[in-house]
Amino acid sequence: MTEDRVALISEISEVLETVTNKAIELKPGMNIVNDLGLDSIAVMNFCMALEDRFDISIPLHDMASVVTVDDLASTIETLRSNA
Amino acid sequence: MAILDKFSGLAARYEQLKASGGDPFSIQFDDIISSVEGVVKGKRTLLFGTNNYLGLTFDPISMERSIDAIRKHGTGTTGSRIANGSYREHEKLERELADFYGHEHCMVFSTGYQANLAMISTLVGKDDHLIIDADSHASIYDASRLGHAPVVRFRHNNPEDLAKRLARLKDQPGEKLIVVEGIYSMLGDTAPLKEFVDVKREFGAYLMVDEAHSMGVLGQRGRGLAEREGVEEDVDFVVGTFSKSLASVGGFCVSSVEGFDILRLAARPYMFTASLPPAIIASTLSALETLRNEPQRRAKLRANSRRFYNGLKDAGFTVGPEANPIVAVILNDPAVATMFWKRLVDEGMYLNLALPPATPNSSAFLRSSVSAAHTEEHIDFAIALMTRVGREFGILPEAPEYSNVTPFPRVSAERLSARAATAPARRRAADVGAGMA
Ligand SMILES: Cc1ncc(COP(=O)(O)O)c(C=O)c1O
Repeated sequence: MTEDRVALISEISEVLETVTNKAIELKPGMNIVNDLGLDSIAVMNFCMALEDRFDISIPLHDMASVVTVDDLASTIETLRSNA
Repeated sequence: MAILDKFSGLAARYEQLKASGGDPFSIQFDDIISSVEGVVKGKRTLLFGTNNYLGLTFDPISMERSIDAIRKHGTGTTGSRIANGSYREHEKLERELADFYGHEHCMVFSTGYQANLAMISTLVGKDDHLIIDADSHASIYDASRLGHAPVVRFRHNNPEDLAKRLARLKDQPGEKLIVVEGIYSMLGDTAPLKEFVDVKREFGAYLMVDEAHSMGVLGQRGRGLAEREGVEEDVDFVVGTFSKSLASVGGFCVSSVEGFDILRLAARPYMFTASLPPAIIASTLSALETLRNEPQRRAKLRANSRRFYNGLKDAGFTVGPEANPIVAVILNDPAVATMFWKRLVDEGMYLNLALPPATPNSSAFLRSSVSAAHTEEHIDFAIALMTRVGREFGILPEAPEYSNVTPFPRVSAERLSARAATAPARRRAADVGAGMA
């Protein structure tokens, strides 16, 4: 994993903390729904918070194909480079 | 059973809810005797959770016209308008609604839910963008899933947040449709529509307002929030329902966007479902006439809303932000809210129990809707009852001099043939509620 990716995942962890109000250490292979216990509304709120942190637009259907934390990081990287 | 295994979590939560004292999903009315009174478990009950804003469900003229329509045109249309054709009355209702709103076009749907489903899923396609308030009604969320447009949410009632999200889409091609509601159905707050209109103009987006809970309620003529805020010209699509102020079932969309009627051949929730039956169209037309001709109902509704809202607020309850006909008492803890709700039902007051995930911020509250048909006596009874239970539950501070005997209001307009049980509201021993919270 690149240093950039590690940094990005730690930034994502910070955003997640603001949504769930608890400290969670994210690992690339974690499943966002199952391992993090996020319900559909929490996922949508997480998505909104990520949009603000990274100043990108993540359409809800892009989130549908995101399974792991690593998928999420890749999606954010792609959206950022398109911005 | 395996196919239902995925619901085991939901089933467990439901069991827990039932165990905590009440089951709001299976309450049954033995009888409904007026637009604000029913019978639950043999006991006369005041209805404070109906969305029956103008109190028209028993309007004698509407009822007569419905019955007459059944005699003339039968009980159902037995098919969709695309397959089976339209009745003259479908078109009449569409013309009347377009006229009421001062718009060129109108389409009616079999429910308000389908109106949102049809309009939102069809207006924006895969190359467009749909931008919705985070606290949108389920029908708006479902529409966003039926359609193909990418969906972006903005923070509830927050025009700056909307602007920020639209700015991120600025260079993307495609049309943008913003969807907001007039009065939000859970807390009764209204959208800051003037500010939303400014944002919409700045970014060249289209704006749709769902006036489900504000039609017949807000505005000089009862057209809703856009009328009250003076921004109707800037609202491209108004969606609404017949199931609240108009006291029947069905939904509509009005607009002056050119070429609107093509949607009749594109919107699947319009095309592939049976059209509204004659009785419903007849009573809806009649209720719309009443809505237009009797502004005093709106005035009474406003006065009632204020009386109820202020009464609960003065008693010390945490209520929603605005005195609209939807009045929410916020209790936060779902278990307390459920016990409170059950207690009110036991004592002759019905209202809605709102639990997550249908509520904003995972809160729990008691949601009531006020009607123009409530008397002051009804409202005072409800305030006194909720205050007494609130004190017993330890949600409100004790008031030793407070009298806990509140007479149940006399029947205001009982249906002539109703054989309602008339057991008076009894005060129950402090059991379930004692020591709560
Ligand atoms: C904001 C909003 N939109 C749409 C609907 C759907 O309307 P209906 O129940 O008439 O299908 C409702 C109510 O249920 C609502 O609250």
